[in-house]
Amino acid sequence: MANILVVDDEVEVGEEVRRVLERAGYTVTVTNNATAALDAAAREPPDVVITDVIMPKVHGVQLITTLRERYPGMRVIAISGGGSFGPLAYKPDAISTHAYLAAAREAGAEVILTKPFDLTDLLAAVRRLLPN
Amino acid sequence: MERIVNSLRVRLIGVVLVILAALVPPLYLGVSAIVREGYAERFVNSLRAYSRLIADELEALDESDFDRHAVGVLDSAVLSGQVVFAEIRDGSRTLHSSIATPSVNAPPRDDFHFGDQGDKTYFITHTVNRADHSVALRLGFDEVPTREQIAAAERRVLLAMAAFVATSIAVAVWLSWVIARPMVRLQEAAQRVASGDTHAQLDVGSSIREVQEFNYHLEHMRRELVGANEHLSREIREREVSEQKRLDLERRLLHRERIATIGTLAGGVAHEFNNIMTPILLYSQLALEEAPADSALARDLVRVIAAAHRARSLVTRILTFSRVMDSQQPSVFPLRVPVEEALALLREIVPTNIEIVLAAPEEPLSVLGDASLVHQVVINLCTNAYEAMRGSGGRLAVTLAAVENPDEPHLRAGLYHVLQVSDTGHGMDQTVLAHIFEPFFTTREVGEGTGLGLSVVHGIVSSLGGVITVRSAVGSGTTFSVYLPAAAAAATPATAASVEA
Repeated sequence: MANILVVDDEVEVGEEVRRVLERAGYTVTVTNNATAALDAAAREPPDVVITDVIMPKVHGVQLITTLRERYPGMRVIAISGGGSFGPLAYKPDAISTHAYLAAAREAGAEVILTKPFDLTDLLAAVRRLLPN
Repeated sequence: MERIVNSLRVRLIGVVLVILAALVPPLYLGVSAIVREGYAERFVNSLRAYSRLIADELEALDESDFDRHAVGVLDSAVLSGQVVFAEIRDGSRTLHSSIATPSVNAPPRDDFHFGDQGDKTYFITHTVNRADHSVALRLGFDEVPTREQIAAAERRVLLAMAAFVATSIAVAVWLSWVIARPMVRLQEAAQRVASGDTHAQLDVGSSIREVQEFNYHLEHMRRELVGANEHLSREIREREVSEQKRLDLERRLLHRERIATIGTLAGGVAHEFNNIMTPILLYSQLALEEAPADSALARDLVRVIAAAHRARSLVTRILTFSRVMDSQQPSVFPLRVPVEEALALLREIVPTNIEIVLAAPEEPLSVLGDASLVHQVVINLCTNAYEAMRGSGGRLAVTLAAVENPDEPHLRAGLYHVLQVSDTGHGMDQTVLAHIFEPFFTTREVGEGTGLGLSVVHGIVSSLGGVITVRSAVGSGTTFSVYLPAAAAAATPATAASVEA
């Protein structure tokens, strides 16, 4: 079965997506940051990567760019929090989600999902990206 | 003022009266005395001459039958009219005129002055030399006619004095009227002006130079007053208009601020909210898949999911609203554009005792983001700055600059475009500075500010990928520095915004 790599700094989100995808029959690896994600990808290249865009340290756009460099043609779904101005005091290194999503698309994300997304939308996106 | 003018007339007349009262009586007395003495002297002189005449006549008489002839002489003297008493004393013998009444009181002494002895008769004794001895001739003259003459003359003097006094008073009255009348008119005109009729012209048409000059100056003052009045009214109206404009702008600014605050809050809350909604929606949908179809559980879960969907669309709508109200799509723009717009708005509402200066270099200093957010930042920072200087006045300086590798923590190396806002206000101490970017933290009175201004600024700066710092000292002022990543003309958001701890 297809291997999906999920990257999100929020543990909750990672677990939710895992539940949904495993129930649909996929193998899921969840990481909380870009570095761990790259390590996991090196160990076992995923078929699809689902990554949050706004994360501390290395954010999603950077991850997408690196992944596409290392694994050209890698399929990426970008998910975002949806707030347009970014958080205030607790995530000072975030910029407008808008800009991030545009950048993510430029970097190579083929699908963008904004939270909260429907279960069906998530599954549909994964199915679309997979070769079969 | 009527009283004053009246007393001017009264005073003039009074002065004249006083002068007259002081001069006229002594004058009258003096003149009367002179007149009287003149008459008296003439009387006495003529009497003396006459007695000498009689004496000579007696001396010329023959010694024989002297007595009879002497009486004859005496009689003729009495008959001439002036003499009322005539006698010749020869030792112990006396010869009287046969006509003269001896009842006339004849005191033994002679008179030296007119009116002596109070008996209305003037007695003279003349020595008559006879052949071998001297006899005394004594004549008494009637003073009464002379007295009557004197009285008549005194009456004439009195009349003259009275005429003089009357004329003087009449002249004084006329003069005072002539002087007072134009003053009364001027005073009436001045009263009219004072009571509000500022357009009544002043012209009393007097020929007295001083009055004319006074008239001229009064009229001049009136014109100045009218001019000043109009000028003042106009100024007041203008002030009212500009005050109204200022209030309007302040209202609009406040409204904008509130909208921006809502927008930023909504943005921050939305992010968190969306994160919370994700498990609610996903797990409900998962649970629905595992629930038996058509079960009550399934139906309940459907409702939960529907509600979650509604919550999601509500948040989207709020975000759309705040985006529509406030922001545009992010783009690359020169930093000075929103800064200058914000300053133009501020110049209208900031009081004139606060000087606003902008220092910016020639280069555009482009940044990537939403220009209206930068506008918001400038408005918020400048509003705080001018609030700190309200009352005492001061200088609000806005500076734009490019800084390479700024020496600030939290900032990566690179080129930044910096916006600085400084004021010369009361400054802040360390305890205030520590909390300054917290939402709802304010040093102002309740109702005067939401305390969100700087937290909004902080949020916006963060969302633009930048950092805001503050330096302040109590008494000297505060400087906020906003560091924004410099944007090249076609930079992508990723390169412009990457931040690493």
